[in-house]
Amino acid sequence: MISVFRDLIRYNIEFTIGLVLVGLVVAFAALSFISPVDPSLIYLAVPDQPPSAQHWFGTNSRGQDLFWQLSAAFRNSLIFGLTVAVLSRIISITVGLAAGYLGGWVDRVLMFINDIFVSVPIFPILVLFYFVLRSDLDTFTLALIMACLGWPFDARLIRSVARGLKHREFTRHAVFAGMSTRKVLLEEHLPYVMPIVFATFMNNMLWSMALEVTLAVLGFTNLNHPTMGTVLYWSNQHSAIVVGVWWWVVIPVVLIVITFLGLFLLAMSMNEYIDPRSRLRRMGV
Amino acid sequence: MRAYLLFAGKRFLQLLAVIFCGISATFLVTHLSPIDPVEQVLGRLSARSNLSPDAIAATRAALTELYGTNQPILQQYFNFWARLLRGDLGPSLLAFPTPSMDLVARALPWTLGLLATSTLFTFIVGNLMGALAGYRPDNPFFRAFGLLSIAIQPIPYYVVAFILLIIFGYYLPILPTNGGFGMDVRPGWTPQFIVSLLQHAILPAASLVLVGFGGWFLGMRALVSNIINDDYVTYAELAGVDRRTVVGSYVIRNAMLPQLTALAMTLGGVFSGTIITEEVFNYPGMGSLLIDAVNYGDYSLVLAVATVSITAVAGAIFIVDLLYPLLDPRIRAE
Amino acid sequence: MHRRSFLLAGTAAGVLTLAAKGLAFAQEAEGSAPDLAEFPRKETLIIHNPEGVIRNPGWFNNWVVGAGNALSNGLHQLTTDTFWLIDPDAGLEGASENAIYNSLADGLWEYNEDFTEMTVKLKPGIYWSDGVEFTADDVVFTVEKHKATPGLSQNGAYNAQVETVEAVDPYTVHFTLKGPNSRFHTLFSVRWTGAWIMPKHVFENVEDILSFPNDPPVSLGPYTLHSYDPNGTWYIWQRRDDWERTALGMIGEPKPRFIIYRNNISPDNRLIEMRNGNLDMVHDLSPEATFSIIQQDPQIQGWFPGFPYAHPDPTLVMAIFNLQKPLFEDKRVRWALALMLDARAMSMASYRGAATLSAISVPPTGTHPRDFHGPLQDFLINYELDTGSRTIKPYDPDVGLQIAEMVRGQFPDAPTDETAVRNAFGYGWWKQDLQAAEELLTSAGFSKQGNQWMMPDGQPFRFSVMVPTDGVVNRLGAIIAQTWAQNGIGAQVEAASDTWDRQRVGNYDVNISWAVETWGGHPDLSFFLDSYHSEYIKPLGESQPDRNWMRWEDPRLDELIEKIRASDFNDPVGIEYGHEFVKLHLEEMPNIPIMAYNVFSVQSNRYWTGWPNIDRPYANPVTNWSNGRYIFTQITPVEGA
Repeated sequence: MISVFRDLIRYNIEFTIGLVLVGLVVAFAALSFISPVDPSLIYLAVPDQPPSAQHWFGTNSRGQDLFWQLSAAFRNSLIFGLTVAVLSRIISITVGLAAGYLGGWVDRVLMFINDIFVSVPIFPILVLFYFVLRSDLDTFTLALIMACLGWPFDARLIRSVARGLKHREFTRHAVFAGMSTRKVLLEEHLPYVMPIVFATFMNNMLWSMALEVTLAVLGFTNLNHPTMGTVLYWSNQHSAIVVGVWWWVVIPVVLIVITFLGLFLLAMSMNEYIDPRSRLRRMGV
Repeated sequence: MRAYLLFAGKRFLQLLAVIFCGISATFLVTHLSPIDPVEQVLGRLSARSNLSPDAIAATRAALTELYGTNQPILQQYFNFWARLLRGDLGPSLLAFPTPSMDLVARALPWTLGLLATSTLFTFIVGNLMGALAGYRPDNPFFRAFGLLSIAIQPIPYYVVAFILLIIFGYYLPILPTNGGFGMDVRPGWTPQFIVSLLQHAILPAASLVLVGFGGWFLGMRALVSNIINDDYVTYAELAGVDRRTVVGSYVIRNAMLPQLTALAMTLGGVFSGTIITEEVFNYPGMGSLLIDAVNYGDYSLVLAVATVSITAVAGAIFIVDLLYPLLDPRIRAE
Repeated sequence: MHRRSFLLAGTAAGVLTLAAKGLAFAQEAEGSAPDLAEFPRKETLIIHNPEGVIRNPGWFNNWVVGAGNALSNGLHQLTTDTFWLIDPDAGLEGASENAIYNSLADGLWEYNEDFTEMTVKLKPGIYWSDGVEFTADDVVFTVEKHKATPGLSQNGAYNAQVETVEAVDPYTVHFTLKGPNSRFHTLFSVRWTGAWIMPKHVFENVEDILSFPNDPPVSLGPYTLHSYDPNGTWYIWQRRDDWERTALGMIGEPKPRFIIYRNNISPDNRLIEMRNGNLDMVHDLSPEATFSIIQQDPQIQGWFPGFPYAHPDPTLVMAIFNLQKPLFEDKRVRWALALMLDARAMSMASYRGAATLSAISVPPTGTHPRDFHGPLQDFLINYELDTGSRTIKPYDPDVGLQIAEMVRGQFPDAPTDETAVRNAFGYGWWKQDLQAAEELLTSAGFSKQGNQWMMPDGQPFRFSVMVPTDGVVNRLGAIIAQTWAQNGIGAQVEAASDTWDRQRVGNYDVNISWAVETWGGHPDLSFFLDSYHSEYIKPLGESQPDRNWMRWEDPRLDELIEKIRASDFNDPVGIEYGHEFVKLHLEEMPNIPIMAYNVFSVQSNRYWTGWPNIDRPYANPVTNWSNGRYIFTQITPVEGA
């Protein structure tokens, strides 16, 4: 495991950059745990102050210190992304392994459901859920719903790997030895699938955080829960750019770009690493 | 040929099933909403005038009759399908009694136009560039391009659109950031209109292209870098086949197949992205229609937009699936 | 299939789609294209219409409910008319009395002894835009058509109240009502919309009114439709040649020859367009945007010459208690919650200080300061409250002065003169008195455990404060909940996008909204007060008619309402009844009145001048709901602009 890491850092400049960027953001978000101000309170500071020694990122029109506000926002967004990624991994692994290994009608039914989910455009569906749930749509419910919508692509990938594994020698040995299907899947096949799971984990985080930003900016989430998207929502509401409070827009956007870029670099470099051909090419063999 | 038709037929049945399930699920979700459209309209009416409580009660009864919201849900479901098969999605409730279909039909060409042109552009150009970049990995121009794609690709559609809006709206106001065409331009086949149309489409299309480009470029580049190490390519090069034919007929042909599958898989996402971009630039497409419908509690219109979206995306995937065997002789032979 | 043909087909498809887009709109082209150069600025007024995207742009039949058409695009202000208009401000002197304009009517309403019949005399010499004269037949047709057609706007109202209607002669209409109603005339008195009169000669030939788009509309006002955007973002109206043959024209000449209404402009774009001279009136901006544009451009004005700039609307934002829930049964608890609040913090958080406060249940706007706030000021200063352990005088008449001081640093043009301060920031509010609040809660049986207040039954005193998802009211609610939470009340803010629906069925604890809306220019409070009668109260979960959202029931209230019902609209005793109501409200505190709903409405003096303001309050400058039509008779083009 450590050697993998070491290889990645040594040979893959993108991984290093990604690691640094993500590390920065995570550290920034972690600061929120020692925040001296409660980020959900308003009008505690003088509003519309530019960045200064007292307020490192300035204050917004709602009288909140932007540094601590963003710190809490990024923490919430990252946790959200992690939650969705974890939940949807569970679903996609289950579906992918089951469909790939069991085959037959199980496979057909699962893939049929998969196709439905693929062809349904996700954004209108999320808007629809908001439409129904309105104020009941808190962060965890949203994470749950997104997890249920985010598993199709990766399930298919896992399924194709599982299909390949089905015909391998060791699988046949395990079956002859009397291992139950569940044990075969969990103990024999899962380790083969893990690298894909890991790479798609990052992708899924990116996807869910992007969707959350979009929903929040349009006002379709719980607006009092600070996240990357809701910060932009509030700055729009107060016409921040036009009025001249540029730090309320520019700083969050820069941080968002850094976050997404970092995660993407990590995901991309890990994808490259998993495919032996590209890994070897990268290492210069 | 028989096998292909059989395959097409099966796939078509699957398409119908997917559409049916998707739309039914949407119907269920919208009708589960606690929002009563009658109350919505009534609320707006009474806010503006001084109707007495008796008048309000009388109006409520009249509207409920008119909108048919007091029928049992199963009845409404059957009515819905009966109407849908006739091409009628019912009256919209935020513009009663204008049919929802009319509103969607007005907005759809804008979304389709934006979606089709930007997707085609990014797919074709992105793949071409990616192929060339993969074939010549040391070219500095392509290296720079790669870096740029990496930088922009992960950023959410909204943020890119927003950044473009800020740059071209406040700092460099050289491009229009609002609406589908200029305020003082009459729609019609005049050069003025077409110019205005294209001008207003530049920014929304640009944001879609910027985000979408990178994906195709990087994916194609990776695919091609794997393919150029394959035997047949090396053989062709050694045999003296000219560079253009190698890239065009050998490499791109083979790399295109997984990309087509990827296109099918991502169409849903691109559609969502288009809707989001429209909202930012106030482009008169399905995006703003959907948001309005949600805010008005008009489940009829929400259902209409969702229905059309699902049908469009599922249909597009179906077409791509049909094209696939035509392009890949290996599958055709199966 | 070859790659080349695939690419060709793809490109062809793309081009076709682009073409389809163009074609879709070519088919909808209507009228001639407006080239802005065709409309000289000296003769053209450009108004911002706050309506968003119009889903039904070619629809001008404003009698159909919920048709999704534009209303504030000129259709309302320029083509509709009815008997009377009641102004939210003072109204034009000479043209209105007690803020009542006689529009189509040639005098006030005439009731019989017991308010079961009403007669209206109409003005002769008023013509529809197609040359047909307006007569009583139009009125009779309107009422009868509405009664017969569900889905028309006044169908419920006419059916509930009108027994018969007849045209006694071409200029006299006589109504027989189903029951005594001393305020029946308010149906035809406009305060945003009213019962507009239909042109009989147009609608009597229409088979299905509900699907009749009425394009172009036959107008009863001095303007007709010139052209409009098939996508519904602008509407252009042109003045009639015979404009004197309309009720508005008889008051004065509407100066602009063309009026253009533009809608669907994002808040940022409004500022930009006004700065560039493409908008003369903007309906509203955010507080921050208003401050910045007025400071940048001296030609742009608000209602007040200096801070706070905004026009106070006759709507009173308040904290509404759900009185059908046991949480707020005791009025001492309600008073305690009121005394915990800090008026200055609320003003700063919601409006950055530009709030017009009111401690009583009447909005501090229009002519109400003259009839209510001023005369009651002494009563309020001496108002005594028994906290259980002592008697206090909770009112602070100088809150306005304090706020003016607070904002003067950033806005040196904040008023210093005491009268100006009272007009701008209100006549005063309650002092924040935490100790008195504690005493009130204790005397109501509450106890404090640590920093948390407990109810008499031992349960923690916890509830949610419902606010909309954005806007001034959201900010106000947030600071209110925060203040309560900081003082041991378990108050939590709950942002909902369907606050109106939930408020209607009583699905809330505390709601920051308004339960009071008045005429504005006229002191009669029946506009909201009549619905407070207990006969309209519904149980929790059922739809409560506007506007008694707190579901306040009190026999003294009923008695007062019935006295008002038996009196004439213009009877000066009405003001006394109003005072009685205010005092009863203070005793019970069923909701906590806070401030007027201020709208940051701005106008540009670049091309036109003569706008109403605090010194000349002849109309409310908002561009949609007020009787803004009169503004067009008062403005003049700027020379040499």
